[in-house]
Amino acid sequence: MLHALRRLLWTVPLLAVVSFLVFVIGESLPGGAEAARFDVHANPAAVAEWKHERGLDLPLPQRYAHYASRIVADFDFGESYVDDQRVAPLLLARFQATAELALFALLIAIPIGIAAGVAAAALRGRWIDWLANTVALAGISIPVFWLGMILMLAACAVGYRSFQGRYDIAHEAVVATYTTRFYLFESLLRARFDIAASCFAYILLPGVALSTIPMAAITRMTRSAVLEEVGKDYATTARAKGLTRTRVVIRHALRNALIPIVTLIGVQTGTLLAGAALTETVFSWPGLGTFVVEAVRRKDSPALTGGLLFVAATFVLVNLAVDLLYGVLDPRVRVGGGE
Amino acid sequence: MRFRDRRVRTFLANRSAIAGLVILTVVFLAAALAGVASPFDPELRVEPVAGKFARLLPGGAHPLGTDSNGFDVLSRLLHGARTSLLTAVASISLALFAAIPLGAWAGWKGGWVDGLVMRATDVTLAFPSLFLAVAIAAMRGTQDLATVIYAVAAVSVPPIVRQVRAEVLRVKSLDFVTAARAVGIAPSRIVLRTVLPNCIAPITVLATLGTGTAILDAAGLSFLGLGPRAEQAEWGVMLQAGLDYVRDPARWYLVVPPGLAIAFTVLGFNLFGDGLRDALDPRTQR
Repeated sequence: MLHALRRLLWTVPLLAVVSFLVFVIGESLPGGAEAARFDVHANPAAVAEWKHERGLDLPLPQRYAHYASRIVADFDFGESYVDDQRVAPLLLARFQATAELALFALLIAIPIGIAAGVAAAALRGRWIDWLANTVALAGISIPVFWLGMILMLAACAVGYRSFQGRYDIAHEAVVATYTTRFYLFESLLRARFDIAASCFAYILLPGVALSTIPMAAITRMTRSAVLEEVGKDYATTARAKGLTRTRVVIRHALRNALIPIVTLIGVQTGTLLAGAALTETVFSWPGLGTFVVEAVRRKDSPALTGGLLFVAATFVLVNLAVDLLYGVLDPRVRVGGGE
Repeated sequence: MRFRDRRVRTFLANRSAIAGLVILTVVFLAAALAGVASPFDPELRVEPVAGKFARLLPGGAHPLGTDSNGFDVLSRLLHGARTSLLTAVASISLALFAAIPLGAWAGWKGGWVDGLVMRATDVTLAFPSLFLAVAIAAMRGTQDLATVIYAVAAVSVPPIVRQVRAEVLRVKSLDFVTAARAVGIAPSRIVLRTVLPNCIAPITVLATLGTGTAILDAAGLSFLGLGPRAEQAEWGVMLQAGLDYVRDPARWYLVVPPGLAIAFTVLGFNLFGDGLRDALDPRTQR
């Protein structure tokens, strides 16, 4: 309990500092706020009036206080400097697009990664171990956006054309009535399998490309964690009792090895979000990553600030969740032992 | 001497470490000889016909064809090795320059200094590194190699600070440091002469693996259009241009080679770094 409480309490000031930092980053784009809206020949009086209307002539601490209080009170991230659109709804939609892509990638990566890691550990030194290691090493060395491009090139060569977006444009009207932006998952829940199939076709390539990042890390971590557990006394005891090596690995070692694996998945969220930004660019996936990059191109501070804040908050909160889960999985952490 | 020999022997007996060394030698040679070995200037528009630049298929004078600017792809690939290595090495050196004193200071001093430095790294580590790099590139505004170097350097600092601090903490409690303190040697001298030299091995490993990550991050930034201008011979920039041709399998030579070069180089740094770690750190030996 103490561990969980301490972690929870630390998250609040961390997010506060992160939000301030992100606000300062957004405020210090070259050319100032007006660069998003006006060109250099704009009438200075008009620029000054626009800034006054938005309270941009106030001192920075005051503006930050206003920004933060709007987020906390109304979940309001302000309006775009470019087209006055409210940022929060856009952010939420883009966030769900990225989340669906990331979850899809994890759904591929976790089972394959764990299976490959277990196989490599159980058959240590054999060809499957060598193969798993090589593939995992390739996975951390290959740029994910290039892999996406190669998949697209290969898909085009065989006549597969479902990319650039999230679903076939024919389904636009139905999808617009959805409550969430998790189009694939919501289609499945609503039993609209035709739309789900279309969403699946569109998410498949970016999802496979993105899955290589966590898959490589999970394979390596599973292999070393299982090997470490197999070397412990309880595994030797289990072997001495007559259990086969495979059974010891799967029933005993893997269960304990799951703790570092779960932690790893939390740590990987950051890499996954970064990889998603690159993958989204390749496949024109309307997610948080492309949102942030567009914001930089348009010099749109509120969009950039909101996007970065969303990314950082996701990362921090997932890590918090993993840390709390860690306490559930490993009783030693819960009682505060070993610290 | 014998101890030193053992580390070299361990490294040489490691086949994947040798593979990494070979890969890196090839890439460094390509970078060093790019000026001599490449058939064309990487920013020379070859054979412009009536104001339009020829996009030649591979063959003849252009083994990998020419791109939409009329640049020779092979020449750009070779010069790209130079750009990538310079960018990555420059950013990691900058990061080490900032991170080693900071980490050593935090680890040695402890107390509020340590707390402050660690909380600061916590805050920066709250951002996935690519997003932090994007933010830094946005703040700098100009699109050139220097932006990429600064951004990648900045995101490489926090992990190095943490590692240096952890090593200093470990070494600090060892007997020979206590002895040095007891004799009355000035703390700054102990850190410089005794503590840091004992941290060289893990920092070298971290820097090697970090260079691989730096190449990936730099290529990613360029790919997102936040790096150098489109004419620059840089692998990420080449891939960004290749994005226009991913639906055209006949133009594979604009997409495949730059990414292969990145993967090959990063793989080299990873293999070499893993080999170094196994050779230098007896604790991780399997």
